[in-house]
Amino acid sequence: MVPITYYLLLAAALFCMGMFGVLVRRNALVVFMSVELMLNAANLTFVAFARMRGDNLGHVSAFFVIAVAAAEAAIGLAIVIAVFRSRGSILLEDLRTMKH
Amino acid sequence: MTLVEFFRAAPVAPDILAPSLWLIIALPLLGAFICGVFGKMMGRANVQLVACAAVAGSFVLSLLAFWATSHHNPETGRLAAIFPNPFGIERDFVRYALAYDYGTWFSVGDFRVNFGLMVDHLSGILLLIITGVGFLIHLYSTSYMEHDAAYWRFFAYLNLFVAAMLTLVLADNLILLFVGWEGVGMASYLLIGFWYDDPAKAWAGRKAFVTNRIGDFAFLIGTFLLVLLVSAFTQQSNAADYNNAGTTAQHYTAALEKKGPVTFKGLEKMAEGLVDGSADKVDLSTPIEAGPLEGYTFGGVMTAAMLLFLLGAAGKSAQLPLYVWLPDAMAGPTPVSALIHAATMVTAGVYLFSRMSALLVLSPTAMATIAIIGALTSLLAALIAFAQDDIKKVLAYSTVSQLGIMFMGVGMGIFWAAVFHLMTHAFFKACLFLGAGSVMHGNGDETDIKKLGGLRKEMPWTWATFLVATLAITGIIPLSGFFSKDAILHGVHHNHLQGLEWVSSLVYYLGLLIAASTAFYMTRVYLLTFEGPRSKEARVAHAHESAWQMTLPLVVLAVLSVVAARYAFGIDLFNMTAQPVLDNFLSPVFSATKRITDASALVALDTSRPQLVPDYLKAWAVALAGGGAAAFLYLRYFPSRVGLPDPAFIRAVRPLALNKFYVDELYELIVIRPVKFMSFLLFRVVDALVIDTVAVRGTAWVTARVGSALRYVQSGDAQAYAAVMAIALLGGMAYALIQVMQ
Amino acid sequence: MNIELILFGAFALLTLLSAGTVIFARSPINSAMALVSTFFFMAGIYVLLWAHTVAVMQVLVYAGAIMVLFLFVIMLLNLGESSTRGKPTVARVAGGAATVGLFAVLAIILLKLPAEPATLSTGAQASFGTIATMGQVIFTQWLFPFEAVSLLLLVAMVGAVVVAKSRI
Repeated sequence: MVPITYYLLLAAALFCMGMFGVLVRRNALVVFMSVELMLNAANLTFVAFARMRGDNLGHVSAFFVIAVAAAEAAIGLAIVIAVFRSRGSILLEDLRTMKH
Repeated sequence: MTLVEFFRAAPVAPDILAPSLWLIIALPLLGAFICGVFGKMMGRANVQLVACAAVAGSFVLSLLAFWATSHHNPETGRLAAIFPNPFGIERDFVRYALAYDYGTWFSVGDFRVNFGLMVDHLSGILLLIITGVGFLIHLYSTSYMEHDAAYWRFFAYLNLFVAAMLTLVLADNLILLFVGWEGVGMASYLLIGFWYDDPAKAWAGRKAFVTNRIGDFAFLIGTFLLVLLVSAFTQQSNAADYNNAGTTAQHYTAALEKKGPVTFKGLEKMAEGLVDGSADKVDLSTPIEAGPLEGYTFGGVMTAAMLLFLLGAAGKSAQLPLYVWLPDAMAGPTPVSALIHAATMVTAGVYLFSRMSALLVLSPTAMATIAIIGALTSLLAALIAFAQDDIKKVLAYSTVSQLGIMFMGVGMGIFWAAVFHLMTHAFFKACLFLGAGSVMHGNGDETDIKKLGGLRKEMPWTWATFLVATLAITGIIPLSGFFSKDAILHGVHHNHLQGLEWVSSLVYYLGLLIAASTAFYMTRVYLLTFEGPRSKEARVAHAHESAWQMTLPLVVLAVLSVVAARYAFGIDLFNMTAQPVLDNFLSPVFSATKRITDASALVALDTSRPQLVPDYLKAWAVALAGGGAAAFLYLRYFPSRVGLPDPAFIRAVRPLALNKFYVDELYELIVIRPVKFMSFLLFRVVDALVIDTVAVRGTAWVTARVGSALRYVQSGDAQAYAAVMAIALLGGMAYALIQVMQ
Repeated sequence: MNIELILFGAFALLTLLSAGTVIFARSPINSAMALVSTFFFMAGIYVLLWAHTVAVMQVLVYAGAIMVLFLFVIMLLNLGESSTRGKPTVARVAGGAATVGLFAVLAIILLKLPAEPATLSTGAQASFGTIATMGQVIFTQWLFPFEAVSLLLLVAMVGAVVVAKSRI
């Protein structure tokens, strides 16, 4: 049997890699993909804990996370398209309107 | 069908009517809403229609409810409307009453307040007075306010007042009563300051409100004391206590859980349980073992609570030391003075003590205080009324004086007579006020009685009704005022409070003095207004009689102030020893009170009737002496001295009475000045320095500086913000790790 | 060494490799393809955890629907390799360092946790993580959140159309 800790460590590693991508990459699309990685890491912990406790609740949570992630991806990509239309770029360093 | 059978066959049975009791309050409230919100666009006639109809509907419902309390149900064989006392055992019924509990209003922990309404004979009488006199005054107002542009506001406030007063009377617990108590205070404030563009009138409204607030504060603290008392009682009481009250611990605590600690029925049961008995029983001298009141005795806390309620009632019912607002409240329109400041709201204190009579009779100290306060207030107000020239001011002081008489009655335990005087006073004082309003209306708003005179021929209806009401308040046989006042004075003389026997005599002789003074100033007002030649300083050459909307209520009220005397007699009119009808009628309300006074030696209540000789003759002689003195002075003495300087005794006494014995100035010196000084200090130090400079401006300054420093951090780069979040997350996790490691 | 551990090791390694490709690839299209493989390997991990339903959904929703959306957007915007490399700003360096630190802290904490999974009875093993059990829970206990999520998806759909449309 594989100890649950291994799964959790894998999830932590995935989460940190996702976060690294969010913080370092400047292409908005890649940042988005990194966010999906982070969401997957969260799902992995849910499922791992579900296995650890022998409880289906973690699976249900993962299910909801996937559904919300789908919604988020749809809206996020729509925003990326809209931004690209208006500015001609999806590089984060070109999008500094929050300063104003 | 005999009369008794007629009264026992109510058109609506109590069981059917009880769930609809809320309508009595809701109708005027709805009227207030409609008049207040849509009044301006509805037009004058519609507003008057809505306002009068709301009160009339409420009156009809009140009449049905009042009737239903005496309903005889032939199927069950019950002789009267009854409902099971929630605090009693299975077969413990409250008779001659209907009640309905609309469920929990709010609850906090163990503390619970239900929205429960109850009509018994006491609240029934008040209901009829409020809605009946209220309707007449609404009708009167349609004519009196015919030239006022803000008529819709006036009727909205008036309806609001009626709704609040009905809440006060219908409530079956102290907190709901307090809602009405505050509601009438607010409506009174709004109506006194109705013509708010006159600063003096707006100021009078504020004075009334602030003075009332002081009383309300005491009322609340008294309520809290009672709540604590109930919880201490439930913790310390044993089977003997509950047995004394005719209930059991299970029933009592179950009802407490369901109805909360502040219902009147529950408080009555506690009062019965506290009456002294065997050695191991909780009674008035038992110390409270736990809680915030630890160490005080039940009786001591009860006295304190009652004295706090006295302060509360003194605010609302204009007694010493809080009476000063009522004379100034005459700044409001005259119908308001008649309804709120004579007939209904100011009697709330008397109602409160009648409602809680079972608790009151546990504390002779509080009762004596109430009686003495009442007597002193009454005498002081009567003396001030001697020298007032404003007709409404005289009537206002007269109201304070009559309320003092009611307080004497309540304080000496003669509750039915106090309620009786409340009722007759509502009739004749409303009649006097409306008469005064009619006089003002017909004389170009002249209120100075020195500048009136000779109105008898010009305003016959007003004259006749004013005369009847004057005779009633003066106490001339056979008008109602005589009997109600005499019942109080007789009771005061014969009831005794344990350890305070001297109070009976003191209050009684003060009462006789008050009766003579009342006769004096009322005769004076009447003579100067209606008799003699018309004053040369009159504003209009000829007064005109008012419209029927104004004279009809006057006539109805005058008739009522005559026929109400019937209630002072027994069923058999000529039996001078029989129990008075009203005493009998109210006995179910005061049954718990009677059980307590019978069981304990605290208060000795007398049930004898006043006799023709000496009681009636004495009272009549006193009234005639006062009235005769006034008649002599104002018909013979002063007219013969026109142009001469006033005699020495007048010069000595007059300024004192004219300036209301300098009570306002005294308050100014000992209360208002220090408060103003403290306020000034607080304004300068706390407000201007600490709050304004340091707190407000300091916060703004710090924020601005910090903001200008942090401005450089705002790059607009989303990733930089995310990096800050990541660092914060790392910090939080590291902190958690360190905490776990240790 | 049992087969489960070997499988876990293989899947974990491949997942991490793919994830690394996602965040380090220069072309977005490469990132996207690496993300697809990450999701597939994650599905394998889910199967090892007896979460069959979640594994299936992972493939269907993520690898199927969401990834197609990503690829579609990349094609639509015609994104190639970025011509210039980003400058290592203070925020990026600090953020990257914080991420590494966070992983270290998380690893320390996780290694202290008790690791043993619950032993399930034979009956529980048969039903654990199946679509029947999940459906039962979702449609009874979690019905309201489920309906709320369906509403959310509708709103997201409408929102996406509105935001992405050039002129309304």
